[in-house]
Amino acid sequence: MNAPAIDIIDLSKFYGKARGIEHIDLEIGEGEIFGFIGPNGAGKSTTIRILMNMIFPSGGSARIMGMDVIRDTRKIKKQVGYVPSDANAYSSMKVREFLNYCIRFYETQDGDQRITELSDLFELDLNRQITDLSLGNRKKVSIVQSLLHRPKLLILDEPTTGLDPLMQSVFFELLRTENKKGMTIFLSSHILSEVQMICKRVAIIKGGKIIQLEDIDNLRKKQLKKVSVELGDHMSNGTLIIHGAENVIKGPGNLLSFMYSGNINDLIDILSGKQIINLIIEEPTLDEIFLHYYKN
Amino acid sequence: MNRNLFLKEIRRNAVSLAIWMTVITMLIVITLSFYRTFMENQSKIVGMLSLVPKGALQFKGISNFNDLLSELGFYAANNVIYMMVLGSIFSIVLSSNILLKEEYDKTAEYLLTRPITRSEIFISKLSVLSINIFLLNLVTALAGFISMELVAKGPFSIKAFLILTLYTLLLNILFGSIGLFMSTLMKRAKPITTFSIGLVLILYFIFTISKITEGAAKIGYLSPFRFASVDAVNPAYTIDLWHLAYFTGITLILTTLSYRIYKRKDIYT
Repeated sequence: MNAPAIDIIDLSKFYGKARGIEHIDLEIGEGEIFGFIGPNGAGKSTTIRILMNMIFPSGGSARIMGMDVIRDTRKIKKQVGYVPSDANAYSSMKVREFLNYCIRFYETQDGDQRITELSDLFELDLNRQITDLSLGNRKKVSIVQSLLHRPKLLILDEPTTGLDPLMQSVFFELLRTENKKGMTIFLSSHILSEVQMICKRVAIIKGGKIIQLEDIDNLRKKQLKKVSVELGDHMSNGTLIIHGAENVIKGPGNLLSFMYSGNINDLIDILSGKQIINLIIEEPTLDEIFLHYYKN
Repeated sequence: MNRNLFLKEIRRNAVSLAIWMTVITMLIVITLSFYRTFMENQSKIVGMLSLVPKGALQFKGISNFNDLLSELGFYAANNVIYMMVLGSIFSIVLSSNILLKEEYDKTAEYLLTRPITRSEIFISKLSVLSINIFLLNLVTALAGFISMELVAKGPFSIKAFLILTLYTLLLNILFGSIGLFMSTLMKRAKPITTFSIGLVLILYFIFTISKITEGAAKIGYLSPFRFASVDAVNPAYTIDLWHLAYFTGITLILTTLSYRIYKRKDIYT
């Protein structure tokens, strides 16, 4: 049996007295698409940086494909691609120059072909200077460099920041295709919807600790929406009963805001009998989700 | 060593090296071109220099007016400023940035995630640093030598010239190791260029103060400039083995410490 793609055991990192992560345990199987979600400062990047041997753990250990992330870092990185959250490549280089520089670290035969193939997919102009690129285009460069050597494991830290929806769709489609070919994907994000869209399992990290490890299907069942509705009818207490609504706040006039967990069709059915002036259904922030599910 | 990283770093620093080489070479050539005029008017100039405070002349490395009357003495007096001080500034600026720049430019996330060890990164960058310092010294020393050949009225001591060149190189390398060491101590990545330049100037200032102030002679030992003798016109001018040990010892210690720290350093971007 193959070793897990990522195996994290009791991993901790402290910055002096400040907490980075505490006693994290995580096992990600080969071929899995795994979501790692949490608010800013939760410890996502700290975990990834330990995996990539940029920082050293204060305790515990981590292994990638059975190899120790400190001792076997060189072997590991031959098989791992990484998209950092900041898309700051060498600004004085042209895109082609940077990608050629990246691919030369690996023993690949078809580097030029791979660069062309991926840059075409992401509509990337190889002759432009990196410093002249927009955030979205720099992100594309970052994604392309991570895939050049056909890694077995792809670690993504907030990969979609700056990408337009069309490119996000191209990117996720590419991830699905690569996953079908056997690539394991570790996606760190603070955007629940993108994790839900592609991942099969998800770990929720907050305050440096993993507070929940869920199948994405279970998370979907608990799906939470933030609803704001402005009713035309006069509204008084008790006139509108919605099962699954929590944290109900009455705003000025007939404005009603609440968190809704349940089937969205049931909510629409209830509201359909009312005169609605405005209705907004949106993704709650992670903090709101955490407050809702994990306040106890 | 990683060839890919090495070549990229050589290219990345090529323009900067070329500029420093050109500027220092031009300064040396221009200064030496004044030598003949200086000699033709030596009595007037020595008279003028006698009016200049001793401290101001010491600051430029002139301890004895008569030293200036030989090509080598004239070269040594100017070499102190151009090659020892400017060359050391070049070395410390390059060395303090060569590793740290990857952190504050946030490119470390691309470099450290490649199949390359910290040792390979360190050795590749150290090689680039050494080559840059060596090339700067080689080109400027050659420019100095050719200029001396052109302006000299008679033969001058090549041995003394080589010793002076060696001291300059050792001093520059030492400042290279100081810069490297400082950069590895930085916990949060930010440029330390201004601090590095300031350090060279302060150490040069300490050395000068120690020479012109009798009571402050001992503080000169705090400065590496104290150990790079420029007394090239002295017939007994030679390589002091203790000074050689000082330069190589400190350079080796700081480089080894930098290597060990870098291997275990948390790198943030």
